[in-house]
Amino acid sequence: MVSLARKNLLKDLPRFLVAQAGIMFAVSLVTIQTGILRGFTESTTLLIEDSATDIWVTSENFVNFELTEPIPYLELAQARQVEGVRRAEALLIGSGRWYSDEGKLTTLRIFGFDPEGQLFRPGEVSAASLEALNQPYTAIIDQSNQRAFGIDQVGDTARIRSLPVEVVSITEETQSLVSSKFVFASLKNANAYVNAGFSAELTCQLGDNGLNCQNAYERAPETGAEALPAPGPLEADVPITYILIRAEPGTDIPALKQRLEDTITGTRALTQAELVEETRAYWQERTGIGFILGLGAVVGILVGIVIVAQILYTSVSEHLKEFGTLKAMGAPDRMIYGVIVEQALWMAVIGYIPGISLCWGLSTWTLASQGIIILITPVSAAGVFGITVAMCLGSAFFAIQKVTRVDPGIVFKA
Amino acid sequence: MAEAAIAAKAVEMVFRTGSVETRVLKGIDLTVSAGEIRLLMGPSGSGKTTLLSILAGILTPTGGRVNLLGQEITGLSRRQLARFRRRHIGFIFQDFNLFPALTAAENIELALKIKQRSTAEAKRLAAEYLEQVGLADRARHLPKDLSGGQKQRVAIARALAGSPKILMADEPTAALDSKTGQTVVALIQNLAKEKGCTVLMVTHDPRITDAADRITHLEDGLISHSSSWQTREVGGNGVIG
Repeated sequence: MVSLARKNLLKDLPRFLVAQAGIMFAVSLVTIQTGILRGFTESTTLLIEDSATDIWVTSENFVNFELTEPIPYLELAQARQVEGVRRAEALLIGSGRWYSDEGKLTTLRIFGFDPEGQLFRPGEVSAASLEALNQPYTAIIDQSNQRAFGIDQVGDTARIRSLPVEVVSITEETQSLVSSKFVFASLKNANAYVNAGFSAELTCQLGDNGLNCQNAYERAPETGAEALPAPGPLEADVPITYILIRAEPGTDIPALKQRLEDTITGTRALTQAELVEETRAYWQERTGIGFILGLGAVVGILVGIVIVAQILYTSVSEHLKEFGTLKAMGAPDRMIYGVIVEQALWMAVIGYIPGISLCWGLSTWTLASQGIIILITPVSAAGVFGITVAMCLGSAFFAIQKVTRVDPGIVFKA
Repeated sequence: MAEAAIAAKAVEMVFRTGSVETRVLKGIDLTVSAGEIRLLMGPSGSGKTTLLSILAGILTPTGGRVNLLGQEITGLSRRQLARFRRRHIGFIFQDFNLFPALTAAENIELALKIKQRSTAEAKRLAAEYLEQVGLADRARHLPKDLSGGQKQRVAIARALAGSPKILMADEPTAALDSKTGQTVVALIQNLAKEKGCTVLMVTHDPRITDAADRITHLEDGLISHSSSWQTREVGGNGVIG
């Protein structure tokens, strides 16, 4: 049987396409805003999820993955003694500045880990790349940071603070959207980079007015890698950020957490899931970023409703006499409303398909070129489709109100 | 005498706009026999279209009663009225009111869909009625590709396809030239008689009075006079009534 809704929509094709472009825009807005929100949230925990760690031990003043206080390296040895610990490795997180060969400055976040370890991995990197990290003054960077770091290929060099660095491998899908640029190095190299750059000298003199002290900072001279001694092993008092734990098979994880906290005082032990949850919650709830992106998604939905409502309302207004004719002919309300609802559903489907395709293409491009994740999963795509349908049906409600008030007597007015 | 298909008793209609009241109908008594073709004539503003809307169950009068096919419709709910119209009344409009996005055949099929006919039956009846109005070869044309006369013939086919007992027509020839108008009215007359349909037609067009069994004249919300075909033939002065 003939579909009045479909025929009405397609009657004026250029106009229909303009209307669909509006819905496509609304779909894109919702998808991109929610995708950025989800992408941003998930990007903050990519490294946690890539690791093969059961428990992360850190300072009791932990706030989120990158914001916590240091613990001494010697506590790694203590952790290894705790019953139920199969493996324990150190992770050092610090900051610094990257100077490209052209002298361009970029702030960085450096992750120092044991390249021969098993618990921390900077994305998918080969064994050879990890082996190369054992060389002095080497690092791995994320593909999305290549341009910012001025790195074209593996083997290119730069400086971190005053020390040289050679890029030995390029990884991908590790970068957090809210952090400085990530750099991965061995524990020895990372420790050297974190502490390089300036030396401080405190000079005090006893004078007439008491003790006068002067703190002098001196920038370390820039030197080539060949002229520098290789960074030495970490000393016991060197601050690290996490102790990563793999438990013996069958170990009661909550009990092991408790034993670790009891053994290493002033620390907190979190499972991988807890660390992910607390880090995401921090960014979503305790910073304005989550709120702003969430607001953007809500605005996207509202704009979508307004666009679709306007299109449907205009369409219904244009066909008001037709609806009046249907009413005069005795068409039941459900049939008349059915025409509007069907029209809304067609608009939802036809607007959604190009909208989501556009966003998918855009997300692929932004990830490859900017390192920005606009996360579109099958579930989120289905969710956006649900929102689109709800948006169109919600808009249809306004159009139905107009039709409900149509006086069928208009059919007799020329 | 044939049973009354349409019976109106003391029908009044008052429109209120703010504090202004306009009495459009001032107590109309009207009876139209089954199978009769009745014209409603009168000057603009005399209340013809309002009366037609009330008699079709589209507008509820502010006073009086309307009985269609033996059923009192004045007290029916909006939904019951819609059901009554769906089952028993066909409409022809001055502006044709065809759905511009639908072909001639689809316009008729949609009307039959409203009457809950099956798809197959709707398609068969649409083809059959288009044949009867001489437009079988225009079945797949959109209204914009049809002439005014052809559009009105599609509207007639649409109105009659559901086999209504009453046909309400509002100025069906107003948008047509004289010759086409007469052809259209002849078609309504022939098909209505053939199907045993009662016709109530509002018109200004004096050239189609010959098609009517009876003519009712309205003036200033009241029936001024009525005349039958016989009266006019006896009077022979060309003046209705």
